[in-house]
This record gives sequence, C-alpha cells and structure tokens, in this order.
Amino acid sequence: MSSPEETFLLECGELLTSMEDALLQMESSPADSDSINSIFRAAHTIKGTGGVFGFDDVESFTHVVENVLDKVRDNEIDVDSQLIAILLSCRDHIEILVNKAVAGEDINDDDKDIDTDLRSGLNKYLDVPEAVENNLEVAEEKHTVEFESSGSMVISDNWHISLRFDKDVLQNGMDPLSFMRYLKNLGEIVHVTTLYDDFPKLEDFDPELCYLGFEIDFSSEADKEQIEQVFEFVRDMCVLHILPPRAHIAHYSEVIQSLPEDDMRIGEILIASGVLTKRELDEALNKQEKSFQAENENVTPIGEVLVEEKVVHEEVVNAALNKQNTNKIIKSTEQTVLRVDADKLDSLINLVGELVISGATTNMLVNKSGDEQLIESMSSMSRLVEEIRDNALNLRMVQIGETFNRFKRVVRDVSKELGKDIKLNINGADAELDKTVVEKIGDPLMHLIRNSMDHGIESSADRVASGKDIQGNVWLNAYHDSGSIVIEVADDGRGLNRDKILTKAHEKGLISDGQVLTDHEVYRLIFEAGFSTAETVTNLSGRGVGMDVVRRNIEALRGSVDVDSKENEGTTISIRLPLTLAIIDGFLVRVGDSSYVIPLDMVNECIELEEGEQAEPGMHGYINLRDEVLPYLRLRNYFDEPASTTGLESIVVVKYGTNTAGFVVDELLGELQTVIKPMGKILQNVKGISGATILGSGNVAIILDVPNLIVRATQAETSHVINKASDENVLLH
Amino acid sequence: MIKVKKKRTGLCEVELDGELTIYEATDLKNELFKKMEKCKGVTINLSNVSEIDTSCFQILILAKRECDEGGIEFTMNSHSPAVLDVIETFNMGSFFGDPIVL
Amino acid sequence: MSEIMSAVENVPSLTETNELVAKTDDTGTKYLTFKVGGELFGAEINNISEIIEYSDMTRVPFTPPHIRGVSNLRGNVVPIIDLAIRLGKKPGQPTKRTCIIIVEMEDAGEKMDIGFVVDEVDEVLDIHEDDIEPAPQFGADIDSAYINGMGKLNGKFVILLLLEQVLSISELSQLISDYDLLQS
Repeated sequence: MSSPEETFLLECGELLTSMEDALLQMESSPADSDSINSIFRAAHTIKGTGGVFGFDDVESFTHVVENVLDKVRDNEIDVDSQLIAILLSCRDHIEILVNKAVAGEDINDDDKDIDTDLRSGLNKYLDVPEAVENNLEVAEEKHTVEFESSGSMVISDNWHISLRFDKDVLQNGMDPLSFMRYLKNLGEIVHVTTLYDDFPKLEDFDPELCYLGFEIDFSSEADKEQIEQVFEFVRDMCVLHILPPRAHIAHYSEVIQSLPEDDMRIGEILIASGVLTKRELDEALNKQEKSFQAENENVTPIGEVLVEEKVVHEEVVNAALNKQNTNKIIKSTEQTVLRVDADKLDSLINLVGELVISGATTNMLVNKSGDEQLIESMSSMSRLVEEIRDNALNLRMVQIGETFNRFKRVVRDVSKELGKDIKLNINGADAELDKTVVEKIGDPLMHLIRNSMDHGIESSADRVASGKDIQGNVWLNAYHDSGSIVIEVADDGRGLNRDKILTKAHEKGLISDGQVLTDHEVYRLIFEAGFSTAETVTNLSGRGVGMDVVRRNIEALRGSVDVDSKENEGTTISIRLPLTLAIIDGFLVRVGDSSYVIPLDMVNECIELEEGEQAEPGMHGYINLRDEVLPYLRLRNYFDEPASTTGLESIVVVKYGTNTAGFVVDELLGELQTVIKPMGKILQNVKGISGATILGSGNVAIILDVPNLIVRATQAETSHVINKASDENVLLH
Repeated sequence: MIKVKKKRTGLCEVELDGELTIYEATDLKNELFKKMEKCKGVTINLSNVSEIDTSCFQILILAKRECDEGGIEFTMNSHSPAVLDVIETFNMGSFFGDPIVL
Repeated sequence: MSEIMSAVENVPSLTETNELVAKTDDTGTKYLTFKVGGELFGAEINNISEIIEYSDMTRVPFTPPHIRGVSNLRGNVVPIIDLAIRLGKKPGQPTKRTCIIIVEMEDAGEKMDIGFVVDEVDEVLDIHEDDIEPAPQFGADIDSAYINGMGKLNGKFVILLLLEQVLSISELSQLISDYDLLQS
C-alpha cells in the first residue's frame, strides 16, 4: 500500500477490471460510447502512469492498444467479436506486463511471442485509415483557429502549464523530474521556468520536501485531457493549470491570481518565456482587478462572459461545462473513498469485539447494583457501543457485485470453449456481506458456475431437440434472508438425473439397497465426497474436485449449501452464508450446568412452559404449539449434560429455512451480543456448534449451529429408527 | 557521497559522487553546509554523480542561493550527464551560470 | 493449598529458566515433571508457556472424552485435553493439586494454545542427554510414538513425552471427526 508501485498495481487492477467489464458490455452493444470511452480511459491511464514509472514494456504496448481504441472511438474501426477478442487478450497481456514490471521481472519469451502476435493483430487495424484521419484533424484545427482568433486571445501557439507540487510529493515517491521527462513524449517543452521562490530559510529547509514550482510552455498536438493524463498520478499532490494555445487572456489572469507567488513575478515569467506579451499581461492584470471588484457582487461565470462576448458558441460552453460537472462528480467520489489497510480494520474490529464483551460485563454489574442513574447511563452507553459495533462491521461489508462481475468473462470464455451459447444473468449485485466471506466465496462459485455450464446446460443441438431456446442461461442471484445472505447459482439446463445419481451412489456405497430417498435427498448426494456423475471428464470441471469440496468450503464459512432441480428445467444451487464472521446477536440459555448461545436470527420465539405444558421426558418428541406440531429436542439429554435442576423447562422455537423446531432448555437467560471466538483447528469441525464466546462472567459459552444441529438430530433419529426396525426384524425371524 | 578535497585560502572544493536521491538528501544538506561554513568560495565537482533527483538538486539551488546572499562565490564544474540532464530539464543553467561542457 | 500455590507461583520463573537453557547447554535440557494417573512424566519446558490453576471449564458437546472442554485464557478460547485419557489411563477427579499446563503448538504455520490437565506439577529439572534412553518398543503402557525418551532420575525412569505428538493438532482434530462420524 505504501509504495507508489503498489498503488499503481492496485489502480491498474481496477482499471483492467473496468476495461474488461466495458469490453464485455461492448460485445453485447457495440454502439455504446460509454464503454469505449471507459476502455480508452483505462488504457490511456495505464500507459501514462506506466510511462511515469519508466515501465517501457507497459507503455509501448499499451500505446498501440490505445491507438486502436482511439480509432474505435472515432468510428473508424467497426466493433466486432474479433476485435473484442483481441482487445480482451491485450487486456490480459497488459496485466502480465504490469505485474512483471512492478515485480521487477523481465518478460519471458512466451510473453514476447504474445506481445508480437497481439501487436501485429492490432496493427492490421491501424494501417489503412491513417491518412484520412490526419486530414480530418488538420481541417478541424484550421477551423478553430479562425474561430477563436476573433476574441481577445493570447498570440502564443503553445500550451501553458503551471505546476506547483505539494511539499510532500517527494516523500510520496514522486519526482517532478519524471513528469517533466514524460511530458517530453507528448510534445516539445519550449521553455521551463523553475520557481524556487518558496524556498524557506536555510534552517527551515527540509531536504525531503519539494519547494519547486514550474511554468512550462509546451508545444504539442495533444489535447488537454492527454496533457492532464501525464499528471494523473500526482493529481492530488499538485496544483495544475493547463492553458490551451491562444487561450483567452481572462484564463491567464485567473491562473496568475490563483498562484501563490506574487502576481507581477508570475507575469514577468510569462513575458520572459514568451507566453504573454507585455500588452497581454497588462490586460490580464486589469481584468483581474475588475473581477476582484466584481467579486462582492455576483460574479458572472467565465463561461457566460465568453458567450456574451460571442467568443464561443453556447453549445460549446455547455459541452465543456457538462464535462466539467462529470469530472467533478468523478473527483468527488474519488475523494470519498479512502483506502485503509485491511490489518488496521481487523485490529479495530477486534478491539470493538473486546469492547462489546467488556460492555456486557459492565452491564451485568451495573444491573446488579440496582443504581437507577447508573443503569440509565449504562443503557445509553450500551446503545452507543452497539452502534459502534454495527458501524465497525459495516466497514468490512462489500457488495457481492464485484465478485459476480468476474464471472462475466469466465462465462464468455468457457461458453466459447464449450461451443455453447450461454448468457450470465446477475441479480442482487448490491447485496452486501463481509469482505472475508466475499474473498472466500469466489472459488466455490467458480466451481459451481463451471459445473452448470459444463454439465447443466445442454449442447445447442440437445436444447433445440427438447424445444428450448438455443441460448442457455446461468443465473447468479444474491439476496438477504433472515440474517443470512443467499447466493444462488441456477441454470435452465437438463436438471439432475435422479437415476444416475442413485446408481452412482450405490456404486460408491453411499446408500444401502433398501433405502428410500426423496428427490431432494437424492440430489443432496452430489455433495458427498467422491461423487461425480459426469460421463466424460472435461478440462473444465469433473477433475475429481467435486461438489463435496464446495460444500466443505461453504461450511467452513459457517454456511450451508442446498440443491434443487427439475428434470429438463434446470438446477439451482443455493448457498446460505452468515453476513459476518465476527459478531452475532445471540440468545443465552442454560442447559444443565452450561450456558449455550443460540444465534438470535434463528430464534422465532421463546416460551416458558407452564406446569401442565411440560414436554414429555426423553431426548425428542413433539408438542402442540397453537395447534401446530412442533418437534423438539431436549438439549440436556442431547448434550449429555447432567440433570441439575428439576424446575420448569422452557422451549426455544428456532426457524431455519423451511424448518421449525423447538429446543427444550432449562432456563432462558436472555439476549446478548457476542463476539464469536474461533474454536481453533481442533474443534472447528464439530458439527452442530459454530464457535464459542466469552460471557461477562469470564466463562466460555458454546454457540450452537442451529441448521447443522437439526440435521444432526434428524440423522440420529433416522438411524435410530432404522436400527430399531432392524432390531425388530431380528426379533421377528 | 561527499568529499572535501582541499581547503586553502578559504576556498572549499567539494566533490559529490554516487547517487544523490531523497535518501541522501538530509545528509547531503547537513554535510554540505557544514563544509561550506566560513568558506570564502565553494567549488563543487559533480563529475562522479551517477544520479540526482529533485530533492538533492534543490539543495544545490539552496547552496547557490545561500552563497549569493552571503557574497560567497559558488561554482559547479565537471557536471556529469545525470546532473546535466536535470539542469536542462529544469532549465536552471542560467541560474547557476556555470560554464557547462557538453 | 499454600503448597499448590507455590507450585503455581513458581511458573513465571519458567521463562527465566527457559533462557538459561541456551547458556547452560552442557548441563542438559530443562524438563518439567508432572504426575498423571499416579505416574510421573516429563516434557521439555520450551513448549510450555504457562501453568494455570485448575478451574471449571465449558464442556463441548459431541466431543470424545479426552477433550475436557474449553477455557478462557485472557480472552482466547483454548481447548483443554485430559492427558490421562489421551494416554489411555483412568481419568482422576480434580483435586487441590490439579493444574492445567498451557503449551503453544504449531500446525501448518499456525500457532495455537492448547491446555492439558495433570494431577500435579512436580518440578523443573535438568536431564542430560546421556541420561536419556530411547523409548522401548513396548512395555511403557503408552503408545511409543508419544515418547521422546526415558529419562533417568534418581535411578528411576521418567517417561519424557513428545508433546508435538501427544497434542498434535491434526491428530486431535482427526480423532474428533472420527468420533463425530461414529456418533451420527
């Protein structure tokens, strides 16, 4: 993060991502000018900053790409799939070049071959229309000259760049020298005046600060945006004014006014370097005075002045103003985003976790004291702690969209490879979840999507034969549901084949002969270890890494995975994940001698059972809850806790997905916020518990993993019934 | 980084060499001005400077300014290509006013 | 009571003696001896980070008996192993002398604390390499893989445990998974 190279790498990553997105967008709608602009901007910025760092490979290659893009932008090259393909390859190549340049590695022979191939591919687009373009440019230029010279303009044909670096620019690893050198690539530096007026006294002079300013006359065919791009990388570390050739004197007067040095001093520099004539300077300074007086009244924006003076057409001004506005918007979003080291964030969240625990302890003590005032002040503090906790956790929340977008490219490339026409549909990209979860969900999703494309979606011929649209669909959906996020990977392919799965499961010994399974149970078998029904092993999926790995990865994130399928209609895999891995709201219960925490978002209601309502003794059974059957699990028996009190029991009704169940406990202790403490490697695989937390008393309480607990209990009961049945069989025979 | 060749009749001849970058800047400033104390004239030999960045170049500007203010003669000679490049880029040749051998 | 406390209070000096190991190499390696199931065992002290008083801990459901539970060690949840059961001996009832020894174990580059329960902490002593015999193939009553060697002490042998093996994270978590499968 600290070094400029790393920042460059990070920014390039972002630019390349947006380039890829835009390329894919352009593939579906070739006339989209936003896409081409964003691709161009990305390439241009990478070229520019690459040049500043002296990464020649990056700069020279991206330059060719940029030239092609420039022509695409001017509608001289038609956008077709061939062009998109080569540009996508170029994007990948730039990524390699950038990574190697930053790592200080040389490019190898393979890279060189790719480089050559891509360049020759790109050059095909560049050869023919060159001459035409030049003519156009010249004509346009003449036109503007004629037009602008009617106003009160500066005679100079050069750009004027006025540059003041922030003092800490050197400490940030930037050297004004590199920017000056890089500027030379864009044109000729006619004259430079280096200003050292800002030098402090010898004693105050800090050798690591930059005190220099520059007034540069620059002759170039480049446009303002291109010149600005040179300074892209120090944009927020310098004050930059760029005046076009033959700029209006008023512009000069504005710049002169805004610079830190004395106005006359700047004026003299400008005259000395031939930017302004003496007469022009006088005019500029006069104007400045006038505008200074006018400042107390309403100052007419410069744009309007120009229009009034009939110097420029209104449309031109509007276009320029619009551009300025969009620039402003971009700039303002840039400023509201602050990069923070992930470690710093983690340590903050850890501290907040400790705060929450210590807050809970204090709360307990305060409530014990019975001091009304203290209790009141504590409760307002608790609210604040809660808010701080929520805010802190929010810092780590990111939208799932970025992860989803990565798959656009995957789907495009893989469908080409498979010869299938597959469209990726994304819904709910704005759903947020914890960054650590997002990072770890990428691989399982990749696997599921490849699976869907490879095994789910039929070949075009098969689709036509079964009367389906030739284009297959893969959906990536995300939505929030009862405290979790659900991510679905769905397809409209052939669906799972029940018989095939059953045969395979028998082969692998996953099920025994007499077992009767529902469709859903059969489908769930695909998550068992070593299960893969693909008849042909393709190079995409089915290489032994199966759905069981996906399941394990998801479960490691305290999530669960489920599958639903309809023959010939498609398959949906749903992944359910917790929003955060750090803190949960829980409900504390006592079971025997121990305390357990049930995640609050799983709890439907808590009922203290009256004398006549007590559940039957035994590990499980069911009670009548408002005329509904509610199966229950007596946790004391289930956890082998000693029966301590014989007081009245309570029941916690938990809901998970479509299941409802009751946990019979010995006492309801109330809600609490808890920081999830990892159980460590030894205990992390115990099914039915998801972690531990430290209570206000300093004791550890186990956090229950409700869905897995229910699954576990169901399994135990089925096997119990089966065992019982087989026992009875034995007896009968 | 910095060597003082001779001191005679109050004339201080300083030779700078190697890389002069922001990492050397603080030392360069301190050393250079210490050596220059009580001098009547300063000559800086730049023949062995392999690299110079803005921070160290600023120190040369500072040295020249200080000398000018104190009425001390300040000259630089035997500019290495690295130094010449910076002088040219910043267009500071006339500021230093030294004869430059190209 | 005062007796145990002194044993417990002696603990901080472990770190000092730990440093001594490096200096006094020729006198041998420092071992902590402790009693489990009535038998004396030893373990190299450089794994051991502290000894704490025995206190009630939180049971973890669905875990085999050798997992005694989890405890709060300065804000971290630490699993506690019943060493007697782990070594295939009869678990003893906690007494005034029962202690928990905390060791730092490493698995795949990740460090974690594990505690184990012993009936009594004995002493820290030097055992010279010459006084250590290799582990017997059998007859020691516990798996020879857990034994570092047999230390000669006042004419008697003390089993020096290989804590890396006895408390191996991968082995312990495997045991739990197996137990889990067996249960369901």
